[in-house]
Amino acid sequence: MANCSFEGQSVTVRIQRFNPEVDKKPRLKEFVITLEPGTTILDALREIKNEQDGSLTYRRSCRHAICGSCAMNVNGKNMLACNQPLKDHLDRKGRITIRPLPYQPIIKDLVVDRSVFWGQYQRVKPWLIPPRDVPEKEFCMSPEEVEALKNAEKCIMCGACYASCQVIGLNKRYIGPHALLKAFQRILDPRDSAPGERLADVAGDDGVFRCHTIFNCIDACPKELNPTQAIETLRKLAQKRQAFDAQRRERQKSLINSAPIMSAERPGV
Amino acid sequence: MSDSEIITHDIIIVGAGLAGTWAAMTAGEEKLDIAVLSKVHPLRSHSGAAQGGIAAVLNNVRPVEGTGPRGPLEPIPPGGEAVDSLDLHMFDTIKGSDWLGDQDAIEIMISEAPEIIYAYEHMGCVFSRLPDGRIAQRRFGGHSAPRANYSADYTGHVLLHTIHEQALRRGVKFYSEWYCMDLIVEENICRGIVALDILNGKLYTMRAKAVMFGTGGYGRAWKITSNALANTGDGVAISYNAGVPLMDMEFVQFHPTGLYQKGILMTEACRGEGGYLVNSTDERFMERYAPDKMELAPRDLVSRAEQMEIEEGRGIGPDSQGLYLDMRHLGEQKICERLPQVRDLAIKFAGVDMIDAPVPIQPTAHYSMGGIPADSNGQVIADADGTHILGFFAAGECACISVHGANRLGTNSLLGASVFGRRAGRAMAEFVKDGADLQPIHDDPLQRNQERIKHLMDGDPASNNHESVSRIAEELKGTMTQNCGIFRDEERLANAMRKVNELQERYKSARIMDKSGRFNTDLLEAIETDHLLTFSEVVVASGMARTESRGAHYRTDYPARDDEDWLKHTLAHKEEDKPKLSYKSVNIDWEKFPPQERKY
Ligand SMILES: Cc1cc2nc3c(=O)[nH]c(=O)nc-3n(C[C@H](O)[C@H](O)[C@H](O)COP(=O)(O)OP(=O)(O)OC[C@H]3O[C@@H](n4cnc5c(N)ncnc54)[C@H](O)[C@@H]3O)c2cc1C
Ligand code: FES
Repeated sequence: MANCSFEGQSVTVRIQRFNPEVDKKPRLKEFVITLEPGTTILDALREIKNEQDGSLTYRRSCRHAICGSCAMNVNGKNMLACNQPLKDHLDRKGRITIRPLPYQPIIKDLVVDRSVFWGQYQRVKPWLIPPRDVPEKEFCMSPEEVEALKNAEKCIMCGACYASCQVIGLNKRYIGPHALLKAFQRILDPRDSAPGERLADVAGDDGVFRCHTIFNCIDACPKELNPTQAIETLRKLAQKRQAFDAQRRERQKSLINSAPIMSAERPGV
Repeated sequence: MSDSEIITHDIIIVGAGLAGTWAAMTAGEEKLDIAVLSKVHPLRSHSGAAQGGIAAVLNNVRPVEGTGPRGPLEPIPPGGEAVDSLDLHMFDTIKGSDWLGDQDAIEIMISEAPEIIYAYEHMGCVFSRLPDGRIAQRRFGGHSAPRANYSADYTGHVLLHTIHEQALRRGVKFYSEWYCMDLIVEENICRGIVALDILNGKLYTMRAKAVMFGTGGYGRAWKITSNALANTGDGVAISYNAGVPLMDMEFVQFHPTGLYQKGILMTEACRGEGGYLVNSTDERFMERYAPDKMELAPRDLVSRAEQMEIEEGRGIGPDSQGLYLDMRHLGEQKICERLPQVRDLAIKFAGVDMIDAPVPIQPTAHYSMGGIPADSNGQVIADADGTHILGFFAAGECACISVHGANRLGTNSLLGASVFGRRAGRAMAEFVKDGADLQPIHDDPLQRNQERIKHLMDGDPASNNHESVSRIAEELKGTMTQNCGIFRDEERLANAMRKVNELQERYKSARIMDKSGRFNTDLLEAIETDHLLTFSEVVVASGMARTESRGAHYRTDYPARDDEDWLKHTLAHKEEDKPKLSYKSVNIDWEKFPPQERKY
């Protein structure tokens, strides 16, 4: 698909427009712009908004793939608009088609209502529940324990995975890959004191056993994370929930008490 | 109006970055009714973009003995000798600030730093670790010991998510995608704000006993910038319009390593981990500018050195405005482990993999040292005597506390936003518990803002020149870059002022295309442009008056620092629509940290 030959030429950006207050149904609108070198999909949207139609509506902020605002559906695939070169997504006739993320009500144009998405995030209690006693300094987590969380902590909650998950398409009560990844992060964190409770919740009716392992979430993730693998891990842990909980309590004892004593002084004094 | 309503809370915080969220979480422990507004979803706040680290003296690592201050780092073994101290961190910060930072506030920030790092850690923040499980630390520019605590190169992301989650845990109410348009201050007492619910376009008067701004920086007035599109300095402009002064607005930091032509940040940790800066002749030019600290000199100095190289014809790229950041000698493993995000950014946005090729970079507008003047409890002040604007607080990048003075050191701003956000939260809780009450509003701020919106939708009926707002914004960025950037002088600044005033005039007849109430981003961008124009005038006016060079403010016509006349903060009040300048003294411990020549 990638085609550099359009540089300096006109290309067609087809964008789904819809304002439910005035429109009966969504429609595709075509805009023509000149493809400058280095133009991202987000740059193209900005140019159209600035030069052609100020009412074009989308979310964006950081413009470098860290705030999670700009996920949308491009030629049928979910991705961030800000880190994708436009030229990589043009067909042979120099066209690209942009729609809002699927499975969520449209607020306007490319902006969707994420209430259910955030609701699921809150439902898994995304916050750490630390033990009652904490060390004076840091919990001395091992580099391996830190490494295990990498798959989850980089998540920017853009929703690309959520809106590509066919289970979500059928059942909005499903917790969803984004929130299950968050739950995974908390459950695997040795500092968290409620892994058992969390496992019980995610192993319930709307949780990890609903995942059909279709892998769409992995393909969609702009941060190259692997929610499916996290979900599989949670499934396994859920089977031996009590043992895992007990193990955690043991680990926390050493986590709190084994802080290395580096000098008699307090830091920096 | 029929669709207007009044909303009331004990405390209203505008901004859900680190500053606002710390304040909310802290005040939230006191069982008060707290609301946080953010124009983007809280997790989209710009704090999440911070890459390199957050400063605190923990003494977890030191250079291997005998290798000198730039040698490789190793963990300090149990019982080993500390290399860092609070005094050293203070000195570095003061020197970095070119002695314009208030030393009492700096002391507070630095002494609370270790505790705030441990607080983050206990709340779930995943810091990178040493093999023994302690928090890993790296070097950063202008710091003479390794004290940047980090999560690879997405530190801000991890801090922001952690603190947002904890605020949810404490039941803080978030108004996500609400836009604050106005601050209501009458007779030096803050009474509330006017805000727009972006979803449906409704305007509300929001009353509170205390209001805090944690609205972030103002880097979007420059063309090449590392800042998010949301960093339009709304909070500073709104405050100024409400009669609050702005302090030290002329001090804007340019970061030495923005991606060439994009401005996207390549964290200073690139140089902290050992990256080189080279010019078109393959020379590590920092040798000529800062032989001691080299690439790890503070940002103002490195950006100036780069700009010098560029102006003297040793730049790279089609327009010769770039230079190279060379990371190749660090090797694949270190780059992938410590700098995965920026490697990916360089691949995506510049088509360069830093493992095999140098990355083209250029200086990029990055941090706003100036802002809303506040004391170390975030209490906003109205004048040089420190008169309070009762019930109004500020912290984070929109505030000028002033810990960063004329130039901020890297990793000190996540720290400042956290420490002073927390302190402002405590101070507001006390203020409310001590019996502060809702204050009556006599004006009609709601109507004022309804008219503002109507005017933007209808345009000026007397004019048939309905210009687009985006063109005005682009021209502003052009002039600020050219005339109010790294190098300034009388003539350039005068040009900038003329242009800003012309654009302000043109803005009056500008019109937007989207007339709908629902999620109107056309309207928001137009109001943001108004804010850009408002504070840019203050930046230029403050810079014109300051006939010296200090920190990030460099006047080629006055290249020396002038402590006799200019060791003072600028205050700008809006008077008859123009900035009126006055000055405020700097808090200095003359015994301990008297001004010195600033050499690296
Ligand atoms: C790319 C980049 C990398 C950085 N890296 C580092 C680093 O490594 N270390 C370091 O110490 N510092 C770093 N900084 C600086 C640091 O990130 C910021 O100074 C700091 O995060 C600011 O936090 P804040 O809470 O003040 O504001 P922000 O995080 O910017 O939040 C501002 C908030 O205000 C809200 N807001 C603004 N205007 C309105 C309005 N009108 N109505 C409603 N809501 C509004 C926004 O929605 C947002 O929630 C970096 C900055 C950049 C640009
Ligand atoms: S704009 Fe922030 S992720 Fe794309």
